[in-house]
Amino acid sequence: MIRAPLSTTSVLDESASIVRATASPWVGLLLVTSLPYRFMQAVFADRLLELGSTASQYGDALRTTADLTCAAFLLSLWGRAVYARACRLTSASGAAPGREALRVPLAALASYIFTASIAESVTYMLFITVAGIAVGAILSGLAIGTMELNDRPGVMAPLRLLSRYGNQTRIVVALSFVFLCGFVIAALNVAALFAGCLALVSTIGGWDASRWHILLSFSNRRYILMVIAGALLVVEPFWIAANVLLVRKAGVAESGDDLRLWFEELKQS
Amino acid sequence: MTPTNRPMAQRCAVHQQRPAFAVCMQCTKSLCQECATQWDGIWYCAACLAVRRAGPVKRSRAGGWIAVIAASIVILFFSTRLMVWAGVLLAGLR
Repeated sequence: MIRAPLSTTSVLDESASIVRATASPWVGLLLVTSLPYRFMQAVFADRLLELGSTASQYGDALRTTADLTCAAFLLSLWGRAVYARACRLTSASGAAPGREALRVPLAALASYIFTASIAESVTYMLFITVAGIAVGAILSGLAIGTMELNDRPGVMAPLRLLSRYGNQTRIVVALSFVFLCGFVIAALNVAALFAGCLALVSTIGGWDASRWHILLSFSNRRYILMVIAGALLVVEPFWIAANVLLVRKAGVAESGDDLRLWFEELKQS
Repeated sequence: MTPTNRPMAQRCAVHQQRPAFAVCMQCTKSLCQECATQWDGIWYCAACLAVRRAGPVKRSRAGGWIAVIAASIVILFFSTRLMVWAGVLLAGLR
């Protein structure tokens, strides 16, 4: 399914095809495994907003929530790893893979947990700056993209791979910008979906949904957090597919395999 | 290790008709030019070289596993602390 040379638009085009091909069941698996993590993040943010300036006095309670979030994070990493493998297999064969996608090599998974933990730490460390969130997202994307290139467990090799593919700065930054816009649009869509469902239930269903109107309004911070979490869940499959393709296309260009594929296509036509 | 200085009467352990060219530093067999392979500046026979090359890979895998698991646990531990720290910092700014 590598159809065009490495560029932002080709990565986005082909990642959309891959998400479509892997929608069932691999996007479903990704969503199911990511849901607890996003939910726990929303719970953590909600507790912080509730506690406000007194949050420093509730360190133990917050740490418990953070530990649970960490456990949910590990589950989501496994889901992401399986989905990334499914994306890679789809891009190689053109068809959605079967159970083969579940056989993520342990060395690749261990390396991914290591690099994703670094990305997560960088995000929290620099959370106060907007650039920090972007750097964390880019690192997290490259970590999942390079996951399957790690055939041996180790600490230095995954980091070397991150820096090697992070050199595609222009495309990486462009993808991040596109996905930032995508996230905003996804958040609006999730909010519109809730509003639409609510309108349908109250008008066609004839239910008294006045309480739900208050709960599902932007004056409720929990609703805002759930919309953000929902938008992240919607964008995640595309983000992972784009990063897997970015790394695959960059690797193909480096090895000259793109020329080989091109010659094969020319011979066939 | 340089090629052997022993008299030419020494014969290759694999090819008896050929004169010895070097001695394997692992098993001390005499080797002809075809059988001797230099690795890291030391002469080895094919069998010892295979063992030599397989050894470090196995060791590095075990070391790699330990390193990556230990590093992940440490980073995850600090990541949860950083999460709380960043959250408290942001909540304090409100």
